[in-house]
Amino acid sequence: MPYLYCDAMKCTGCRICELYCAFIREHALNPKKARLRVERREPAFDKAIACRQCADPPCAKVCPTDAIVRNPKTEIVLVDEKKCIGCGACVEACPFGAIWLHPDRKKAIKCDLCKQCIPRCPTGALWVETSEGSAAKRRLRLVESWRPVMLERIQVPGK
Amino acid sequence: MFKYGGYAGQILDVDLTRGKSVAKPFDENLAREYLGGAGFCSRVLYDEIGPRTRPLGPENVLVITTGPLTGTLFPQASRHVVAAKSPLTDIWGEAHAAGHWGPELKFAGFDAIIVRGRSPKPVYIWVEDGKAELRSARHLWGKDVYETDAALREEVGDGWSAKMLYIGQAGENLVRFAAVMNDLDRASARTGMGTVMGSKRLKAVAVRGSKDIPIADEKKYVKLMDELHAKMLADPFTQGRADYGTPSLVELMNEIGRLPTRNYQTGVFEHAEAIGGKIIRQRYLVKPRADFACLQRCGRYTCVPEGPYAYIGGGPEYETLSCVGSKCSIGNIKSILYAHHLCNRYGMDTCSFGSTIAWAMECYERGILTKKDTGGLDLTWGNHEAMVELVRMIAFREGFGDLLAEGSYRAARKVGKGAEKYVMAIKKQELAGQDGRAQKSMGLGNATAARGADHLYAFPVLDEVGFEKAIKERFSARYLPEIGQKLNPKYKGLMVKECEDFAVVVESVGICKYGTMIPPTFYYRDVLRALNATTGMKLTERELRRIGERIVNLNRMFNVRHGIRRKDDTLPERLLKEPSPDGPPKGHVVELDYMLDDYYRLRGWDLKTGLPTLKKLRSLGLGFTVKHLPGRRRK
Repeated sequence: MPYLYCDAMKCTGCRICELYCAFIREHALNPKKARLRVERREPAFDKAIACRQCADPPCAKVCPTDAIVRNPKTEIVLVDEKKCIGCGACVEACPFGAIWLHPDRKKAIKCDLCKQCIPRCPTGALWVETSEGSAAKRRLRLVESWRPVMLERIQVPGK
Repeated sequence: MFKYGGYAGQILDVDLTRGKSVAKPFDENLAREYLGGAGFCSRVLYDEIGPRTRPLGPENVLVITTGPLTGTLFPQASRHVVAAKSPLTDIWGEAHAAGHWGPELKFAGFDAIIVRGRSPKPVYIWVEDGKAELRSARHLWGKDVYETDAALREEVGDGWSAKMLYIGQAGENLVRFAAVMNDLDRASARTGMGTVMGSKRLKAVAVRGSKDIPIADEKKYVKLMDELHAKMLADPFTQGRADYGTPSLVELMNEIGRLPTRNYQTGVFEHAEAIGGKIIRQRYLVKPRADFACLQRCGRYTCVPEGPYAYIGGGPEYETLSCVGSKCSIGNIKSILYAHHLCNRYGMDTCSFGSTIAWAMECYERGILTKKDTGGLDLTWGNHEAMVELVRMIAFREGFGDLLAEGSYRAARKVGKGAEKYVMAIKKQELAGQDGRAQKSMGLGNATAARGADHLYAFPVLDEVGFEKAIKERFSARYLPEIGQKLNPKYKGLMVKECEDFAVVVESVGICKYGTMIPPTFYYRDVLRALNATTGMKLTERELRRIGERIVNLNRMFNVRHGIRRKDDTLPERLLKEPSPDGPPKGHVVELDYMLDDYYRLRGWDLKTGLPTLKKLRSLGLGFTVKHLPGRRRK
């Protein structure tokens, strides 16, 4: 499942993603209307948090009006604002705290992976990630660390 | 709805004596003539306080304000301004900071807070979405900034989405150079604004908001901001700032002989590398951390993991490294990092703190101060243990610290015995890390600044390492090469005048001097495009330049009412008479009179007195100040 990932070591906590998100999606310069939130904790922890687009989304499960549906093709979880009654059950159900109510409309809003924030992050801390992709990267890193040992044992042309 | 975008449209007016606060509409004309931020302060304080105002009396007025671009997508739009009559200089007082507090104030529905009177008991102000209340701060009084932050967060709930501005113990104890702090490690440091806050028994202002900042030209906005962001990131300076922050200036300033050492005895420090940008990055940097909408991320987050100087938190800027380090001949970097952290916790200006200690160390070297005066402290150059000890002693006014808490100017007058000669201050405020002998524009800029010794009022840096392209763009090629030569006084009057006018515009719209002054990425044109798209004011560049000039002249008139004349626009004797002994500026002093003539002429001020002329004031729409020109009858 693809989702918006933020590297906490690259994130500086500038909140430019929040502002762009709110302005592009809600036509308002207001971080509280953004579909992702930058959290800052001491010491030195900054990270943007957005929906993980879960395969079995708890927000959808608890929604009494079935307003939240996962599109199996795009693998993106969407809120139908016409059906949303603003009860906040999804907000309480999300283990990542990645869905909340729009402060004026009182409808649930969340990241739908429009990707507008990604090229605008000044440090390149945001990208689309999948759990599978993340695991593959980790496996490769592990194998890479064995390279010197491997090189001792095999013939490489030009060496 | 307010006529212009970018503004919240409301001001919070707080009377601490009566314990009441009221929301007032922002004056449209004031917005058009002074924008906000520094400009807003200049007009409000000119109207409300004057020569009879005691800086620490309840009649002083403290203004905390944002600009129309604060909290928007303009690169580095994170700034707020704090202003009042200064208890350190007894004239115009003003300080600025970045962080997340200013933007949050606007999201909470206010452009500015005006604080009057004095509360009978310690209080803090809680602002949330257009509403404000005064709450008891008895349990916070006596706590440092970090402790206050944690306690307030418990109280207002919802974790970190609330933003805080506060004073530490230095402000409570009326140390004359106490800072107003925000977001833990950000400081509105200079001219004792934290002292004024302490005198009002105002411990903190906590804000949280969920309101929009309206944008006038929504259609063009994203495209314009994308363009400005790309321009900022493309500047080669940005990566250097992100990697090293301002500490790398230590090495650069040392190279050009401009790193004040041993209270300005020289501009070359033998241990510069030990306290510079490289070593901080290699050994103590945790990560760069940005303030709101900041692309440059010069903020350092640092850590000394163990030993007597262990801490984790915001790191020092160049000014701190030079004032607490080289000025005191201290090459022990851990002690400087730790002293900086303590100054942040107690809420104290590191520039005045370090400079005052440097003054005391020189007096100690010359036998003017002895162990008898210092209570046994050994103030030999480079004694970092004594320096660190003095942070607490000054913040709590313990023993010898009580004298230094008055700042070097007042302390020297008390000590006598020729101690005044070694005070490196202008208009009673200590110089930051700048030696005008090695960069003449900096010498002039410090002499003319409205808030006393101040490198930031003009922030003339284009001649520092030769920004020829920017000089051509901003001043015209015909002043080259002289204007770009840092040791040449020629055309520095022009440079300082133009830089002052632009710098007050920068501080009035709520953006940072990084990205505007250095690197010189955005000038009037870009700021104007953003300002018009945000506010819909449809200002012309000419009008924007005039606003800058208006604010500088109004600040000048504020000071003129307090007796400031040409004689006060001067530098410490050392910079005027003692030639710089080492490095590239060897043999140089500051040719101040030559540059001042140049500057006054361009300003349209009287050469002999330094008073703005009637004609100049009227042409800027400052007719209401004419009655305060000396020799004029009062209405």
